[in-house]
Amino acid sequence: MEMVNLTINGRSVSAPSGSTILKAAKDVGIDIPTLCDHPSLTPIGACRMCTVEVEGQRTLVTACTFPVADNMVVQTESPRVVKARKLVLELLFSERNHICPSCESSGNCELQELGYRYGIDHWKYPAITKRFPIDATHRYMFLEHNRCVLCGRCERGCGELAANHTLGLGNRGSDSIINCDAMTPWGSSTCVSCGTCLQLCPTGAISDKRSAFMGRDTETERVKSTCNRCSIGCGIEVATRSNNVLRIEGDWEAVVNGGRLCENGRFAPLFESRKRITKPLVKTGDRQTEATWDKALSTAAELLGSVGGAEIGAVTTSDATNEALYLLSLIFRDNLKVSNVGMVNGAVPVLPGLPCGSLQDMLQSDIIIAAGVDPVSDQPVASFFVKRAVDLGARLILVDDKENELAPFASKKLGINEISTAADIAGEAASPFVLYGAGIAGDAMRALAKLGDKALFLALQPGVNTYAADALGFNNGFTPKSAKVLFAQIGEEGLTTGHMLAGIDDKTALIVQASYQSPLTQRADIVLPATIWSERKGSLTNSEGRVQKVNQAIKPQGEVKSDWEILSLLAETLTGKPPVTSLEELSTLAQQKITNKEI
Amino acid sequence: MAKVKIATDWLGGCAGCHMSVLDIDERIIGLLDAVEFTSSPVTDLKHPPKDGVTVGILEGAICNTRNIEVAKMMRERCQILVALGNCATFGNIPAMRNLVGTGEALKRAYVETESVVDGLIPASPELGIPVERVTGVDKVVKVDVFIPGCPPSADAIYFAFTELLAGRIPEFPPEYFKYD
Ligand code: SF4
Ligand code: SF4
Ligand code: SF4
Ligand code: SF4
Ligand code: FES
Repeated sequence: MEMVNLTINGRSVSAPSGSTILKAAKDVGIDIPTLCDHPSLTPIGACRMCTVEVEGQRTLVTACTFPVADNMVVQTESPRVVKARKLVLELLFSERNHICPSCESSGNCELQELGYRYGIDHWKYPAITKRFPIDATHRYMFLEHNRCVLCGRCERGCGELAANHTLGLGNRGSDSIINCDAMTPWGSSTCVSCGTCLQLCPTGAISDKRSAFMGRDTETERVKSTCNRCSIGCGIEVATRSNNVLRIEGDWEAVVNGGRLCENGRFAPLFESRKRITKPLVKTGDRQTEATWDKALSTAAELLGSVGGAEIGAVTTSDATNEALYLLSLIFRDNLKVSNVGMVNGAVPVLPGLPCGSLQDMLQSDIIIAAGVDPVSDQPVASFFVKRAVDLGARLILVDDKENELAPFASKKLGINEISTAADIAGEAASPFVLYGAGIAGDAMRALAKLGDKALFLALQPGVNTYAADALGFNNGFTPKSAKVLFAQIGEEGLTTGHMLAGIDDKTALIVQASYQSPLTQRADIVLPATIWSERKGSLTNSEGRVQKVNQAIKPQGEVKSDWEILSLLAETLTGKPPVTSLEELSTLAQQKITNKEI
Repeated sequence: MAKVKIATDWLGGCAGCHMSVLDIDERIIGLLDAVEFTSSPVTDLKHPPKDGVTVGILEGAICNTRNIEVAKMMRERCQILVALGNCATFGNIPAMRNLVGTGEALKRAYVETESVVDGLIPASPELGIPVERVTGVDKVVKVDVFIPGCPPSADAIYFAFTELLAGRIPEFPPEYFKYD
């Protein structure tokens, strides 16, 4: 990388050529204030907060857009610069409503922080108090135009990160407002509720309805974790206060999603209304009664010991942690010699020996084949990357026999029996990317595999931790019918009627591990209450095979335990000794087994 | 040494900033060795004495003609004028009526409020006439020290007093500087 040498505030700095002054300064710990800039967005130099003095330049320049050059001399806090920044702030405060005590963002606002930093203790200019509307039509967020500084971060986030292009700038001059689909109420616009704009807004102009006024950053705690709503495994940051989850945000530093989340990951978990199970239950006669963990586990061990391995079945949700899947395999497959094991949803066979690509890699590709996958509804953040790649010039070839929500973005649509044509076109491209899913099999798979090393491949798994479940042998045609004793690890799964477990024989003894009450838990002989996503620890493996940590954000409700903890205790009850001594040891064992799987 | 005279008064505010002055607690006793509070809304003498004070403190925004008179009187009778709190510095909550206009705001408050029957907008000659646009104090008289905060913390106010007594115009460290 070619480097240039410059001086910032008298310090010699060397930075890659082409980088901005802002970036060069940040890398050596010199803090230049910004407002419209965001590291994940294209800089536009709109707000002029980041102005700096560059020797030889007639005017001040914006550090967020100005590239470094050899021998450049930069001042970031000179009197001239500070004066200009104060003027910018005076002007920003003089427009719209920046009366902080009544603002949701007070204490979490970048404009307010800048006011503090530059000692704005009164407003020089009379405030313009034109009244703008508040758009509260969206289910999850409200848009308070009166607090907006028109930095355009929301608009760029919607376009560049979610690739959804709902937000734009409407009207002119001081009447300008951020608007949805050219002046459509937000709630009835094309918005997909990803919340990227919410996360990017530096002021109180976009707020989360559910957590509004429930705590500023200094009053909340933050825990990084991994989303458990699909197999993408987006990095999340959970904001909590007094053991309550306030909000879920995308982790800007997460390699997988780079801050993006979808509606399922960001909002849905906070609208859960099912009833929890908080204590172990054991059936005596035909009534379930609360029991101690000891009692529930010893009863479960007795049931499992009363029959041979051939008469036991074990089934798991794909949302179990790596650790739980490892222990489930150890207890049932290895110890009890059970072969009737499986998972609630199937897996996509990963094409062997082919290079695996990440979502980020897709942005560098020129052709994307999407075969037998519908990420728009199943793995939404993956669809943001597909649409962004298309915006950046990639061509999308859609291969599917069903209706597919990626269709409007595809330049070619083919049936699955025409998949060779797609592979042929991709074969001519410079950097093709193949995204495939449960919709293709057999010949279609082989047609794609012909691309070999020429393309990057990503199999989008239908369930959260399917990759790990598959690696640990849980994808082998489980049938509930032949089990006399069935262990069902359901977790948070909401099983619809007509599901495979609906066909359990009346006489089957049923041990259910679950977080929520359901017909299945009501039918169970033993219920082992499990944590939900925010309470558990462990790790998950995403579609790429990347193992990611799940961290506990709040304390578990009642007596519930993490899925692996329950299995570890069960193993101890069965064999007389704990299978592992710590979570770390267990995680390592699980990871070895999962990532060493032969593909 | 003669005590430094301080007078306080209020304009369109909620009295919260004065409460914050009282929140200085026992430190106020030490302060009284060096200063004399000549007048305030909570003492018998309500307005600054004619012979003047060194420091005048105003809470509240300029909302009506009466507020303008009080602000001008304080300015004339003090050497250093302090705008105490967000309302005095920015207009703050009272200034939010600027978003609808004074006429609309009065109508909503006195006539259209759900609990009101046959409401009337007060128009007694003893009352100040509401101004069209609520502002901070500095838009009608010159202000020397601004202490934003809604209300400013007792520590910020105490810091301001000690700085002023030391003959300095206070520059607030970040922990005392806030807009809410
Ligand atoms: S957006 Fe920021 S500066 Fe404006 S009122 Fe809200 S907290 Fe204050
Ligand atoms: S929530 Fe997502 S799609 Fe909707 S406006 Fe915001 S960024 Fe755009
Ligand atoms: S809504 Fe927020 S992010 Fe969007 S332009 Fe306004 S201040 Fe910026
Ligand atoms: S794409 Fe999947 S992992 Fe990412 S936020 Fe949405 S549900 Fe969660
Ligand atoms: S941060 Fe550079 S112009 Fe806004």
